[in-house]
Amino acid sequence: MPDMVPMSVAQPQERQFNPYSDNGGTILAVAGANFSVIAGDTRQSEGYSIQTRYAPKVFRLTDKAVLAVNGFAADGNMFVKKVKQRLEWYRHAHSKDMPLRAVARLIQSMLYARRFFPYYVYNILGGIEEDGSGAVYSFDPVGSYEREACRAAGAASSLVQPFLDNQIYFKNQTPAPGTSHPAHLALTDVLALVIDSFTSATERHIEVGDGLEMYVVLAKGSPLQGLELVQGVQEMSTTTDGERVFIVRRNLKRD
Amino acid sequence: MENLFAITGKGYVIVAADTTSARSIVKMKVDEDKIKVLSPHLLMAYSGEPGDTIQFSEYVERNIRLFQIRNTYPLGPSAAASWIRRSLAESLRSRKPYAVNLLLGGYDTNKHEPHLFWVDYLGTMTEVPFAAHGYGSYFVLSLLDRYHNPEASLEEGLATLKRCIAEVTKRVVVSPGQYKVKVVDKDGAREIEI
Amino acid sequence: MSIMEYNGGSVIAMVGKDCVAIASDLRLGNQALGISSNFQKIFPVTDRIYVGLPGLATDVTTLRERFRYRVNMYTIKEEREIEPETFAHLVSSTLYEHRFGPYFIEPVMAGLSKTPSGGLKPFIAATDLIGCLNFAKDFVVAGTASSKLYGVAEGLWEPGLEPEDLFETISQTILNAVDRDAYSGWGCIVHVITKDKVVSRTLKGRMD
Repeated sequence: MPDMVPMSVAQPQERQFNPYSDNGGTILAVAGANFSVIAGDTRQSEGYSIQTRYAPKVFRLTDKAVLAVNGFAADGNMFVKKVKQRLEWYRHAHSKDMPLRAVARLIQSMLYARRFFPYYVYNILGGIEEDGSGAVYSFDPVGSYEREACRAAGAASSLVQPFLDNQIYFKNQTPAPGTSHPAHLALTDVLALVIDSFTSATERHIEVGDGLEMYVVLAKGSPLQGLELVQGVQEMSTTTDGERVFIVRRNLKRD
Repeated sequence: MENLFAITGKGYVIVAADTTSARSIVKMKVDEDKIKVLSPHLLMAYSGEPGDTIQFSEYVERNIRLFQIRNTYPLGPSAAASWIRRSLAESLRSRKPYAVNLLLGGYDTNKHEPHLFWVDYLGTMTEVPFAAHGYGSYFVLSLLDRYHNPEASLEEGLATLKRCIAEVTKRVVVSPGQYKVKVVDKDGAREIEI
Repeated sequence: MSIMEYNGGSVIAMVGKDCVAIASDLRLGNQALGISSNFQKIFPVTDRIYVGLPGLATDVTTLRERFRYRVNMYTIKEEREIEPETFAHLVSSTLYEHRFGPYFIEPVMAGLSKTPSGGLKPFIAATDLIGCLNFAKDFVVAGTASSKLYGVAEGLWEPGLEPEDLFETISQTILNAVDRDAYSGWGCIVHVITKDKVVSRTLKGRMD
């Protein structure tokens, strides 16, 4: 017999697969009296690498609902696809678009259905309610949600949210004697604040930049409120007699 | 677990410490005095690692006394607190740091003001109107946010302290039974029975 | 548990027109438990220089004492007050001395420095905990609310602010930033340094 070479004893080996990733970016939405603005940057990154400078995070669901999705892009895209499918089924069944508050509850159910293997995304839904008021709903990854006047989410949310608290909610600001803070801001003011928020976030956060997409949803019969003067505005709605959706694009710094 | 409380009021500081000396779940002693009178107008309550507390508090006691002998006058409350804090801060970056938390209550005989300092084992120090160490702090600090009155008389201060002790006894699972209470004011430091 | 977040606290400094401002919150905590609502983190160095020391509270006091000692020694030896640039390097080298066992502080400095023509120029700087200097032209931030401070400051700050406008800008920045930070807040203090005076104001803030 030749000498036996002792074989190494098989050891248990641990293998792991991480199904999640973080693709950066930031989203933001603000509700007005009869409009809603939903915005997001278009950079998609992983670690220090930019995968693409144009990957939309904001999607038109219906003429009165726009959804911004931020976090793990693959989950985000899949989630939007599934929400759109459910909304199409609703249209076939009821011959109308799903009301915004129902879309919000649908999103909660869809997120919570995956409670133990969640979509790794923060959702912000913006649009017009049945009463014609502008609305913003924000969600956590497992479906906890709330209707608000404004919300920032994603990589630069900690930079943007306190700025919004100050400029939208007028936190820590005292109105001049005999006056009061406006309950809702004008559309042009909101657009200016959104642009400022994203330029600020781009300046200080490496995962934010490249492009900015701002969706504006106007209530049925609402005037354009200065939107017609905004350069490069494009209409996205299917009809002009219901709620109307517009998109405004801007460049952000690419460094 | 160990609890230290202190409250300032109009011209005084009340310092209270529980009297149990425990090792794990066993009470070794129930009449331990954890409040040292460092100088005529200075009290120091201490808690923490059993050996360290005695070693450190006696080190402080002797040094404060030494200053008084050398200079014929004692260190004021804030000067004493600064020296004690520095001792802890230097100890923190040594091979074996003291694990001792302190409350320093004193009466400034020059400016005629009470002073209370919260000091932890890291050497963190801050002057406060009321203070606490231990699990009791989670209850007592919020209680004192509501009921503390810097203008309260000694009787009112002691009444507030009793509310604090009662709350801790009621709500903390491992709460000690008895407390020793000392007061420092213009007349110096003394123990008070409650 | 991060040592830098053990006690909480934040500082910011901003440049204005012939003036600078520095502001901090007043909280001292033990993790989530608030201990004090009057813990000063900003200290005067000279009549024209202030330094903010957010980070581990024991090191706030220790470093304050160390800087006071070193600046006093400088003043005695040089027979003149220290300039902000020099002080910044003093801070940096003091921290770097402890490169492998650092003080857990990220200092922020604000002051007015003398120019060759005899005028005064705004100066701000910040370092990390081992003394890497950052001379910014606009604003510097540090502490547990630093990301929030960056966001708000970037949105509110503009060049050439007069002292009163700078005060409003830095006040709004710190108040709104610390309101979104659990470890900072419990009131704020703001110092505005101009050529002939320093105005210090304590701000009421949310107590939650």
